[in-house]
Amino acid sequence: MENRDEAPPGGVSGMVNDGAPDVEVVARILGGDGEAFGILIRRYEPGLLRFATRMLGNPDAAADAVAESLVRAYRHLAQCRDPGRLRSWLYRITGNRCRSHLARRHTNDISLSDAPPLSDGSDAWAVLERGEQVALVERALAALPAEKREAFVLKHVEGMSYEEMAQVTGARIPTLKMRVHRAREALLAALEEVVR
Amino acid sequence: MSPLDPRLQEALDGERDPGDLPLDLREAYTRLSVATQILKATPPVSVASRVMTEIRQGPPPVLNEGLAHRLLHWWLGRPRAVTVRLRPVWTLALAAGLATVLLVPWSSGNLTPGVAQGIAKFVGHFPGARSVEVVGSFNDWSRGALALNDDDGDGIWHADAVLPAGQHEYMFVVDGERWVPDPLAGRYVDDGFGAGQQNSLLIVRPASAQP
Repeated sequence: MENRDEAPPGGVSGMVNDGAPDVEVVARILGGDGEAFGILIRRYEPGLLRFATRMLGNPDAAADAVAESLVRAYRHLAQCRDPGRLRSWLYRITGNRCRSHLARRHTNDISLSDAPPLSDGSDAWAVLERGEQVALVERALAALPAEKREAFVLKHVEGMSYEEMAQVTGARIPTLKMRVHRAREALLAALEEVVR
Repeated sequence: MSPLDPRLQEALDGERDPGDLPLDLREAYTRLSVATQILKATPPVSVASRVMTEIRQGPPPVLNEGLAHRLLHWWLGRPRAVTVRLRPVWTLALAAGLATVLLVPWSSGNLTPGVAQGIAKFVGHFPGARSVEVVGSFNDWSRGALALNDDDGDGIWHADAVLPAGQHEYMFVVDGERWVPDPLAGRYVDDGFGAGQQNSLLIVRPASAQP
């Protein structure tokens, strides 16, 4: 889960440590208390930014996608059919924005120019510097097709169940399991290739 | 790229203790675990201020109840409707019910659309429902703005509304919690949220274009 109690930089005033359930916060907003949306931003922004960054491989594009998604979510909050599953709904909107962004690039893959450069790979994985490990992992993730990248990130980075992933992506659970398995294989192959 | 050993997949799915894996599989497990931890780093940025600034400049996500009631009274307080929305018949029984309803004037009588407006008639068959309302793109999906009525308790709920001419998406909300597309709409569009849900589609013709 995300760090719900951490205040984001440039945070929202007057909303600190509000532990009300999502359903109550949504009711407050729909009742006219628009400022209560800041509570939801605090809860879900870190995870949404992480998800979008992993999907797009570019922090600036990810920030744009998350900002647009949150504004869209606010405007259409009354259309959220199950506020008890607000997290899934927000990830679904953000995932759609990321897909739209990728489509505008005319490819589902992250541009290699957005991915960090690799070291020469002559060292074993265990002795790689942390920065090199990060670059290696981000580049390996970026090389995955978007659907597999999304499945891997939702499962292993965001810690979602397959049921929640199905709500976010609209894909069937067996399909998602297969995407996660294939993503693991591709990632491990990429990591092994470089450190071999 | 070779398929992963099923034991490694099971460990990654939390179904097997990774300590029980053979050494080579344990190394692969560790490598993927380290990769996952790297990817869990949260970007040190925030869009909170930007989002709050933008939403403060726009309309609220829903009409408040008082305004919704005033709008509804304004709609119902205008002179008579001049256009009728036709839908395909769903079942013979419903057809009979609709025919009865359409032949007997109901509370839409005082609606008058302005220029480039028309009147939409919403009809739904929801036997046993305690309440039915319409939310859609025309009211920013606001709950409580347009309720359907079933005064005679026959399960056929209806309401009229003056809407801008053009295309609108909408859904029925039954008993305050169940969102359902209009089974009689005839046209549907994806709701844009990626889960295969569909909104009903309504095309309102301007009253001035009606014979």
